[in-house]
Amino acid sequence: MRQRLRDPVTGLLFVLPVLVLFLIFRIFPSLGAAGMSLTNWNIGGDWDIIGADNYVRLLDDVNFWLSLRVTLVYSVVYVPLTMLVALGTALLLNQVVFMRGLFRGMLFLPYVTSFVLAGIIWRWIYEFNGLINGLLAKADLGPVAFLEESGVVLPALAVVAVWKGFGYSMLILLAGLKAIPSSYLEAASIDGASPWQRFRRITLPLLKPAIFFVMVIETISAFQTFDTVYVMTGGGPARATYTLIYGIYDHGFRSFDFGYAATWGMVLFAIVLIVSLVQRRFLDRGNT
Amino acid sequence: MTITTTSRPSVRAAAPRAARRRWWRGRWPLAALLALLSVLTVSPFVAMFIVALSPAGRPTVPVRWPESLTLDNITMVLSSSGFVTWTLNSLIYAVVSVVIILLTSSMAGYAFAKKRFPGREAMFWTFLATMMVPFQATLIPTFVLVNSLDGVDTFWGLIVPTLANSQAVFLMRQFILGLPDELFDAAKVDGASEWRVYWTIVLPLTKPILATLGVFVFLWHWNDFLWPLVVGQSDATRTLTVGLTTLRTEEMQLSLLMASAAVSVVPCLLVFFLLQRYLVNSIAMTGLK
Repeated sequence: MRQRLRDPVTGLLFVLPVLVLFLIFRIFPSLGAAGMSLTNWNIGGDWDIIGADNYVRLLDDVNFWLSLRVTLVYSVVYVPLTMLVALGTALLLNQVVFMRGLFRGMLFLPYVTSFVLAGIIWRWIYEFNGLINGLLAKADLGPVAFLEESGVVLPALAVVAVWKGFGYSMLILLAGLKAIPSSYLEAASIDGASPWQRFRRITLPLLKPAIFFVMVIETISAFQTFDTVYVMTGGGPARATYTLIYGIYDHGFRSFDFGYAATWGMVLFAIVLIVSLVQRRFLDRGNT
Repeated sequence: MTITTTSRPSVRAAAPRAARRRWWRGRWPLAALLALLSVLTVSPFVAMFIVALSPAGRPTVPVRWPESLTLDNITMVLSSSGFVTWTLNSLIYAVVSVVIILLTSSMAGYAFAKKRFPGREAMFWTFLATMMVPFQATLIPTFVLVNSLDGVDTFWGLIVPTLANSQAVFLMRQFILGLPDELFDAAKVDGASEWRVYWTIVLPLTKPILATLGVFVFLWHWNDFLWPLVVGQSDATRTLTVGLTTLRTEEMQLSLLMASAAVSVVPCLLVFFLLQRYLVNSIAMTGLK
């Protein structure tokens, strides 16, 4: 009896540090974001409630629609590219036994570094007298202004993010491949299925949950792109890389227009929520 | 096992060799492709290290290989006070966060998994729900909050808001849920206090998952950028990632910039080489990112 009476208190005491941290630094700011988006909060800390004015301003803001487009185009390049590289390397690692551990480690290596480091290295790689243009010059080609041309810069940034991040998705997909019973593939092989048929009819359908999980994760991370933009382009040229998060940063910490920046944050929240809910729906359907 | 290997050594040795040869016949192009992709993936790092170790001001990769290698750039970087301060700040940011997150999330994970208290389910699901809110969406209110508490450009302002980590709490709770209740009950019958049970039973039993989580938290914080960028406004609290972005090739030699970048990545490489197997296995198991 005493044991039971003591339990509620100790349980709460053990949760208390995390509870306090979450209330102050996660839940309060989450509600605060919604609240601030209804004010004209500025750097001085003065604010008035201005209702939906920020949202009206958002809908009229050319830069907002531009940033949505930039983020979307970036995702459309980034997600398929990273899926392709991750799936390709995962399939290779699953097939090749020779020095597998070494190759897996080499492919995974960029994942443990920062986007800032990736940005710094690749800024140099893309420069006029950088690595790629140096190689192009040897072949009497180029130079290509990767970071100064609005048509090239988004794919160029996507390549950096793919390089930095595909190792993670590769490992998830590799685990998915390893979970496919080899007897399925052997049976199909005996029945005369070609390698392509085996991949298309057995591997791919069984790998679907892993592919879907990775796709959602990568889509969300594409929508949160900031570090590489900050390091490599500063949102330019001519706002060609002005992503959603860059917009939040720009309005919050260059114009100190906190209320309006919070409104941009609400849009990001809505997008991530929608992607997560779509994921939930698909997963539920997959289970039934 | 040992019996079969000792009794028929020749057969066992020959069979894999033949199998290996058969394997190579069809699949050597795949191995070659994999090797090529692996080399391409690490080549930016190799290029970075070559430039970092090249004499300043001379043309180097990809135009030509450096005639000699030097540590001058590295020593120059390590003797610049700004760089050393940023590195120490990054270490403080990462290590303090690792210790506190491991401690608080294992305590909470233990309570959520094994204790009954009012509001437990509601609390746990609220924690999970906050995972849906991306940090960047709450960047502005979090900054305003920290600013109003005079936390901008202080270590607590840098560290404390990042300690509310729902992934860590969730992971710890799931792991402890899988441990048998008897382990904890036996100790309590022996009269151990709740804190003692946590310290002498929960912590040792969760060591593997704590190690995994610790590695991830370290990497997250060492590589973190946006929050340190807005909070660490002077060299006093500026971290290495933020400091690196203030270095520009217009103002400094490329070899020095690459040396700075190379030094900044050393802790990540150490973690990678020492704990790679660990990291690799835990990603598929836990889904930590």
